Amino acid sequence: MASAKRTMTLNLTDAEMRVLEELAEQKDLSKTAVLRQALRLYQLVDARLASGRKLFFEDEKKKEKSELMVL
Amino acid sequence: MRTPITLVDNETGDLVEAQLFDEVTTDHFLETENEWRPLVRAAARRMLQEERSGEQIPQHWHWDWTSKAPDLGMMAITFYGVECVGKLQGLMKLETVGYYSRIPDQRGAPLVFVDYLETAPWNIRPFMVALGLRARFSGVGTQLIEAAVRLSMREGYEGRIGLHSLPVAENFYLRACKMTSVERDPGKQNMLWCEFTPEQAQKFLRGDNR
Repeated sequence: MASAKRTMTLNLTDAEMRVLEELAEQKDLSKTAVLRQALRLYQLVDARLASGRKLFFEDEKKKEKSELMVL
Repeated sequence: MRTPITLVDNETGDLVEAQLFDEVTTDHFLETENEWRPLVRAAARRMLQEERSGEQIPQHWHWDWTSKAPDLGMMAITFYGVECVGKLQGLMKLETVGYYSRIPDQRGAPLVFVDYLETAPWNIRPFMVALGLRARFSGVGTQLIEAAVRLSMREGYEGRIGLHSLPVAENFYLRACKMTSVERDPGKQNMLWCEFTPEQAQKFLRGDNR
């Protein structure tokens, strides 16, 4: 059930490319797969926030929660 | 997209043609409300009246697929359904982002999370026995798990999948699918977290462990 794929050229700075390569290595994924994950996550978070939900990071040790704001 | 699959008709023992599809809509969610839920509740009621073992009693009688309608169209979320003889036989919700292996030597490897998997109640033997009926089709759950494994492979996750199993479903995941029992999760009502490693996923697809 694979969808048809389209190709695009992506221009990244050296720093952005370095982060992408680091993430791909850490997760044992291709760079395309990392970007695909990032896009899916961004869409999901954006939709959840748009529906009125909030996104928090929790520090269990300090018992602190900080809300993540997305543009 | 629709893919032909086969189920087993428990009445005749014959293989029957069915379809696996990912174009799930709110109509399918409504079908679970109208056709599945009353039967699940009836089976739960009958089993409670007959004082059956708590482990057999349906633990998903309150599931509400219609509440998942906002997730349709989310790229991080994939739904699969199984249809046969014009009826919805099973439904599954998968998440492809943000879930990782908890097996110590694979910790951190991404996997496909099986958030919900439900088989139509007329395919669940203990429910139908409680209602004096015979289960209709076998194989719906394994076909859906196979779809999750294949999605995991397409995502580059090597077949890794993970899920929290309801107590009544532990036998299915551990004995029928032969998933790894990883840990009880106190953050999820102490449900059992089960996973397929890449090797187990390959064995499952080959049918070695079924």
